[in-house]
Amino acid sequence: MINGTMRRMMTFAAVLSALVAAPSLAPAGAGSGDVAEKVLRLPMTTDGPKSLDPIVGSTTYENRCCSQIFDTLVQYKYLKRPFELEPALLAEMPVISEDGKVWHCTLKKGVRFQDDACFPGGKGREIVASDVFYSWKRAADPKYQFKSYWLLEDTIVGLDEFKEAQQQSGSFDYDAPVEGFRLINDHEFELVFKRPVQQFMWKLAMFQLSIVPREAVEKYGDRFNRHPVGSGPFMLENESDWQIGTSLVLKRNPNYRDEFYPSEAMPGDAEAGLTKAAGQKLPIADRIEITFFVESQPMWLKFEAGELDYTTVPETAYEEAFSRRSGNLKRPYEQRGITAHKVPLIDFIFRGFNMEDPLLGGYTNEKRALRKAICLALDWDEMNEAYYNGTALVYDGMIPHGLDGYPEDGHLPNAWRGPDLERARQFLAEAGYPDGQGLPVIDYYTSSGGTSERMAALTARQLAKVNIRINPRLVDFSTLMEAVDNKKAPFFSFAWGSDYPDAENNLALFYGPNEAPKPNHFNYKNAEYDRLYEKIRTMPPGPERTAIYIQMRDMVLEDCPYAGSMARIRHFLVNPWLLNFKPTETFYTWMKYLDVDDSKRPGGSSR
Amino acid sequence: MWSFILRRLLYNIPVYLGIIMLVMALLRVRNPVYAYLGKNADQKQIEEFEKSFGLKDPFIVQYGRFLWNGARLDFGESWKYKGTTVREKLLGAIPPSLSITVPALVLTSLLSITVGLLSAFNRGRLLDRLLVIAAVLGMSISFLVYIIFGQFFGAALPRNVFGDDWPLAIVGYGAWYRMSSVDIFGLTIPVPDALTWVKFCLLPVLISVIVAMGYDTRFYRAVMVEECNRDYIITARAKGAPKSKIMFVHMLKNAMIPIITRIMTTLPFLITGSILLEMYFNIPGMGRTLITAITDMDYPMIQGFTAVIALLYILSIILTDVLYALVDPRVRLS
Repeated sequence: MINGTMRRMMTFAAVLSALVAAPSLAPAGAGSGDVAEKVLRLPMTTDGPKSLDPIVGSTTYENRCCSQIFDTLVQYKYLKRPFELEPALLAEMPVISEDGKVWHCTLKKGVRFQDDACFPGGKGREIVASDVFYSWKRAADPKYQFKSYWLLEDTIVGLDEFKEAQQQSGSFDYDAPVEGFRLINDHEFELVFKRPVQQFMWKLAMFQLSIVPREAVEKYGDRFNRHPVGSGPFMLENESDWQIGTSLVLKRNPNYRDEFYPSEAMPGDAEAGLTKAAGQKLPIADRIEITFFVESQPMWLKFEAGELDYTTVPETAYEEAFSRRSGNLKRPYEQRGITAHKVPLIDFIFRGFNMEDPLLGGYTNEKRALRKAICLALDWDEMNEAYYNGTALVYDGMIPHGLDGYPEDGHLPNAWRGPDLERARQFLAEAGYPDGQGLPVIDYYTSSGGTSERMAALTARQLAKVNIRINPRLVDFSTLMEAVDNKKAPFFSFAWGSDYPDAENNLALFYGPNEAPKPNHFNYKNAEYDRLYEKIRTMPPGPERTAIYIQMRDMVLEDCPYAGSMARIRHFLVNPWLLNFKPTETFYTWMKYLDVDDSKRPGGSSR
Repeated sequence: MWSFILRRLLYNIPVYLGIIMLVMALLRVRNPVYAYLGKNADQKQIEEFEKSFGLKDPFIVQYGRFLWNGARLDFGESWKYKGTTVREKLLGAIPPSLSITVPALVLTSLLSITVGLLSAFNRGRLLDRLLVIAAVLGMSISFLVYIIFGQFFGAALPRNVFGDDWPLAIVGYGAWYRMSSVDIFGLTIPVPDALTWVKFCLLPVLISVIVAMGYDTRFYRAVMVEECNRDYIITARAKGAPKSKIMFVHMLKNAMIPIITRIMTTLPFLITGSILLEMYFNIPGMGRTLITAITDMDYPMIQGFTAVIALLYILSIILTDVLYALVDPRVRLS
């Protein structure tokens, strides 16, 4: 029985909704012709991208958005794990010369940019080899503050010199030649490298190296980041479709190249229904509506109300969705057909030591012993329980889950994983500080805010058990980076998200020439390690390379320039009407594979 | 009056310059470039960035440059949103804030003045006590609780029951903004489309009204109670003037000074918006834009926004004084 209040509420709702839904007020394009339109409604935490120009993009949010609008030369195979690459704009994978220094690339023919006023007649023209060179030269243009130049630095013959010369000239000449960019014809080109760089293949799939049309950049200038023109599966039809900080609406790009849903899959994919769409033309959806959420609460509520196709589970909602004891999705969600996916991120969360610090740095047995004592006093499982609901992945070594060199089940016998207070005390004595006597207070730099402050307190408490005292320096992130870059932080909390799924990216963190302010924040130096690193950069994947990865990992473990490690796990909840979704956060080109079954949505229609 | 306004403006110039100097100095305590350029930046890049944005110049030069450019409403380009000027962001963020704060202020003022009048007129009676208890309760609960409960009970839960028929959305300001706005002189102005406004803005407005009513009702009640004891009210009652006339004509008119003070002090907040509401309802207004600029360490944005907000505060104080004189002939601007 409906009581009076409920009846009044329903009447109010009915009147307002009748007004809101009045046909004369419907937005443009919401006519009857759109009934069959497939719309993806996706969330994005934070206030979204700052720019839709790939060359200035650096965050995961820019990656997610740019990856829909722009295309790269190669891309990740959607269903394959471990990750593998396949041609995207290229007709085939680059053909590599015997010495590994020359890559011959052939573009697919007939692939066009999206239609835009920057092209004659507004029709998107065909992508040619010179577009690749133009797009990549932008990374060397000071106008873009070299945000993406690290991808090409010290790699392609003549590019560094080109950058210097252009910078000195004061005006950037995109037509000036670069020795390592060899144009053969409109569809073929060669890349000449200073040395064989195997990992460059991964970079070809990175959104920053997407291909952009020169006409658009020149026509829109600084507005190109608000008016992107690409050749990706979706496009920004109007600038107003991107409400900065609020929402982004992308529409299917009718010019998108012929690409079809893959049939190559992993065991279990067929059972999960991920292969049903094999052979279907991409993109499957007609429109993507991305909503940005600075706060996770409204995102969660919107998912609960069936207005989002999937969500990541905010920490605050973890126990609402999952059983704390078993980690399984709770029954009410299962009953609604919602599925849960746990995706380990390629994360390396650690506490770093500055190897040049007079107290903690150095390579003598005493110095190593002090660092090992600190490692053994730390309890990463407790941190995981306290701050990640026990869902993060604690592992040994610096190579994250899923990459060559990751230890089986995450454990290594030669790692210094705590808590082992007895051994910690022994090492402390070996270091010359029995029971911590005489050991000065260690400055520990970590960023302020969020869980960092509480984690610093826990770190201090754990270390205090063996009489190691730290002075937590809670600073803003910029100051933390400055202190680490200037080698002023003896002990610091940091994390590294791999740029691509190859352990080389993590091993580079300990390569001597990469010392701070470059990513070797530990200032770790080991000639043998450096020699091996230079060797693996040129090696193709295989058992031989993996063996060297392991050797390098163990060398670092022995010298102990960091304590750790841990990786976060992203929890996705997926509504039953979202099809073909195999969640990952390693690449973001997957929106073109997604489909929706509107009949399963609440009310049986788009909302 | 004009000489008064001019004098007040002149007096406030040093205050304003001091605020700007303080903000710029505080922002320069730490170097923001390391975080801005990210994990792959090298020292050369950092130095080039500092040079290109004038961060290497002496502070006084940076200060002078900011004032000179600011006088022409040129606050530079956002670091984060390349190709977007701070001015553009400012102008873009004002309408979303206004679309929530103006209706909220009008509704709150009307309701709380009326409730305050009723309460004062019935002081000591059951109605008054109930209204006071409600106001105190309203004040005692955190704004955040109102927002979370409001989103859950006002939108999420009913949408689960009624689906899209429920007229209040959880978030979605962008959808309204996208479908109904016009560009005038570079300023994107939402077209006053009342019905889509209901869907995307009514809930935050209602929450804002509920929160503010507690404070405002108590304040207006106190003002009205004081007015109730005045001779002119007693005289009006003695003459048999109707209750409504005494309340809404005699009392209200004479209580205008504190009412104006109260409303005027909230005027700058109309522009600056409500940070919490904007964060939770995805409204790209001034409050949220400023907070995200601080998080992103977007210095030109922080400086530009602060300069404008400080100016608004000073102008609203001057405007309050002028309004006093307009509503109360006894007040002379001298």
